[in-house]
Amino acid sequence: MQAPDCFRQQLLAAIPRLRRYARSLVFDVGSADDLVQTTLERGLSHWHQFDQRRDMLVWLLSIAHNAFLDQRRRDARLSFVDPAQANAHQDSQRADPGVDIGLRIDLLAALARLSLDHREPLLLVSVEQLSYAECAEVLGIPIGTVMSRVSRARSALRELLDGPQRADASPSLRRVI
Amino acid sequence: MTTAQHPDLQQLSAWLDQALEPAEQAHVEAWLREHPADAALTRLWAADRDALRSRLETVLDEPVPPAMLQTVAGGGRSSTAAANAPRWRRPAMAAGLLLGGTLLGLLIGVGAVTRSPASFAALPLPWRPPALAATSWPHRAAVAHAVYAPEVRHPVEVNVVEGSAAEQKAQEEHLARWLGKRLNLPVRLYDLRPQGFELVGGRLLPDLAGPSAQLMYQNSAGLRVTLYLRRPEAGSDTAFQFQREGDLNLFYWIEAGFGVALVGKLPREQLLALANAVYRQAEPNINPTPTPKPPAS
Repeated sequence: MQAPDCFRQQLLAAIPRLRRYARSLVFDVGSADDLVQTTLERGLSHWHQFDQRRDMLVWLLSIAHNAFLDQRRRDARLSFVDPAQANAHQDSQRADPGVDIGLRIDLLAALARLSLDHREPLLLVSVEQLSYAECAEVLGIPIGTVMSRVSRARSALRELLDGPQRADASPSLRRVI
Repeated sequence: MTTAQHPDLQQLSAWLDQALEPAEQAHVEAWLREHPADAALTRLWAADRDALRSRLETVLDEPVPPAMLQTVAGGGRSSTAAANAPRWRRPAMAAGLLLGGTLLGLLIGVGAVTRSPASFAALPLPWRPPALAATSWPHRAAVAHAVYAPEVRHPVEVNVVEGSAAEQKAQEEHLARWLGKRLNLPVRLYDLRPQGFELVGGRLLPDLAGPSAQLMYQNSAGLRVTLYLRRPEAGSDTAFQFQREGDLNLFYWIEAGFGVALVGKLPREQLLALANAVYRQAEPNINPTPTPKPPAS
């Protein structure tokens, strides 16, 4: 049986946020969209497994997460996009120039260097604004693990941005709003 | 000095995400008030979070690739599907999407909670992209209101009610500047406090040909109204208009390159008072001038 229209509409509405998440995982637009495409196809073929009381986006993000892991396993040669290349790509895209561009370019490079274990929960919580419970559901890990990984990801990101000299909480406020 | 225990990094981080139990959340908050170094660290984290969001939010504006639309639309349709649709208990996330440059004010599930389905009568089932393109922008404003006004956790993208007064001020400035840049309009955060409505924050939304913005206000009873701002098509000035969309009322007008719609579940007279307040404040936008300073004389 085919997926009903209401399901397809929900799927459509979720595309922009799926693409955003995929882009933060893969950086390269084409590969990110491939991941979204795979996610949509899997979502459609498993539509009957979706519980309508649940949040569609959380469900789709967990499919995307698994598809991404599968893809990495399949293609062990897949490496992270070179941060410099990612920066160049980012520069070529339209972005809000009102906020601290220097920091954001740093940030993207730093983000690319985080381990996937750190990057995913940080993005799901910070950018996708999922609750810890939802994030745990997407990644298939306990809530406590989400909590510790998000915290470690934040510290790791800060360390990458600040350089290693600042290990503990004596922040050097170099950030500009 | 407080007798409280030093929260660890995990707790500080979870505090930032509001993921702690209320008592623990309050404890960390009290701790941060007395420990500036920890408070500074959480601010840095918050700044990183905001920078990540703003770095990635442009992806949301990009038109959806046709291949994805085909994937979702393809494979035929079951004729009974719509009738069998389950009743959803919670609103689905997100509503607008771009379709080959055409905006679909696509709305899912929102009506199921409290709203009359009449508000969404324009939502066609089954899905036919071309037919959707004809929705008017006041309708899109109403849809955007219906989607975000009931949100508990994320009513706005940029929040101006959290943090200290200084942080709120900084967020307000950021919000106005950000939306202004994206809409290419001098976005003003209208002050509706004399009418009893505080600004909650705002968000960027996709409109037919580009971005639009939504500002959200809330009164002490928790009632929300939203302002939808957009750059109108050329030569489309419109006088003050009143429209009803289901149980939502809205006033809209276009003047001097500024399209504004005020949407709320308020009686017409009350909404009109708010609309008037916005209209009066919007006027200086026509000729944006720096804050006048009293002459030195």
